[in-house]
Amino acid sequence: MSVSEARRARVGILIFPGTNSEEETLRACQAVGLDTELVHWNADLDAVRSFDAYVLPGGFAYEDRVRAGAIAAHDRLMLAVREGAAAGKLVLGICNGAQVLLESGLAPGLDGAVAVQAGFAKNAPHGKFRSTHVYVKLAIPPNRCAITAGLSPGAVIPAWASHCEGRLAAQLDVLDRISRANHVAFVYCDASGNVTPEAVPNGSALGAAAVTNQRGNVLAIMPHPERDAWTFMHHDTSREQARGNASAMLATSGGIALFESLAKALAR
Amino acid sequence: MTVTRCVEVALTIPDNEAETALATLRRLGVELAQLRRADLYRVELNPAQEDAVIATLRDLETIYNPNKHSLRVRADRKPQAGELWVEELHGESRSSAAAARAGQVRIAGRLLPGVTRIERFTAWRMLENGGEAAGPEVVARAAQTLLCNPAFQKATVR
Repeated sequence: MSVSEARRARVGILIFPGTNSEEETLRACQAVGLDTELVHWNADLDAVRSFDAYVLPGGFAYEDRVRAGAIAAHDRLMLAVREGAAAGKLVLGICNGAQVLLESGLAPGLDGAVAVQAGFAKNAPHGKFRSTHVYVKLAIPPNRCAITAGLSPGAVIPAWASHCEGRLAAQLDVLDRISRANHVAFVYCDASGNVTPEAVPNGSALGAAAVTNQRGNVLAIMPHPERDAWTFMHHDTSREQARGNASAMLATSGGIALFESLAKALAR
Repeated sequence: MTVTRCVEVALTIPDNEAETALATLRRLGVELAQLRRADLYRVELNPAQEDAVIATLRDLETIYNPNKHSLRVRADRKPQAGELWVEELHGESRSSAAAARAGQVRIAGRLLPGVTRIERFTAWRMLENGGEAAGPEVVARAAQTLLCNPAFQKATVR
């Protein structure tokens, strides 16, 4: 049976009160051929359970009350996500979605545990919101995480960091285990892929931009690849060169690579 | 010589954040009748400057708006019964030693002359039915289940 004959994987993009990046995320998923639906927080839980994968987009779920991601981590929708992750379904959290995944204990999931082991704390050194263009580099063997398995080793992806709480933080022994067990999926880098302290926009421990769980089916990434998924969103000269050329301006950009990799994983 | 004062800023209007936290805690099995939240500033200062420092805090509308907040100087410097103080580790919640040495301790960008140290906490006050303070086990459970992420926060209870 070919992929086209097989049932297409259905991806649910979860919306909590305060989520604000669902449309861009939906378009990125649809652009790579995924059968994607927006799922609101009051959706029937059995319907939510029927999805093959989940994407938690960015925003300010529940207004970041208590901490970014803390209330959403206990939302009823997350019952389906927890069950799905335990069953091996793919779960991608972007920005606020990544914060939710760490607050829910689904990442980094050291030793397979679902427990709060790390968090995204306020940016260092000033604790202020930053919106800046960044590049992230794949820091694990691609197949360490199912969602990155379609990328090349050391792939560099453009994205927009847009957060106040994006600094990976944990106790020192936990950070050591996160590092040694290859949970840091992406690190910040420059446009050429050089990993430098200057490339880190938020003081994140280990220079981490994304962490995966032990099983590799959950990925929590802080910067937004879906906000650099088309040339008109991109930050370098390619956007200027495309001016006046609609098809070039609407061509996909580097950030789409992560969604293409997600689609490949779901087609397997 | 310095003295330490705790300045508590709390909403006088309904606190949506506390209500959301209360509803979530109840759903997680932590039985509470009320949950109140306040920003708490533990300030180490020169006593001769105390009135000026409090006046400066009252003047900072980014932390205190008299239309919706109360501000009081607490006599205590540690959590009371039913209270949980949450502080960020390695973050902005403490002024630096370098700032103290330079006499440059600031809050919300405003210089606080006479202040040698300032620490910021979120103070959660938990009440059970009848209005009595929640017991230490309930407070600890609330911290563990929702109110404190030990990866980068520190919880202090009585």
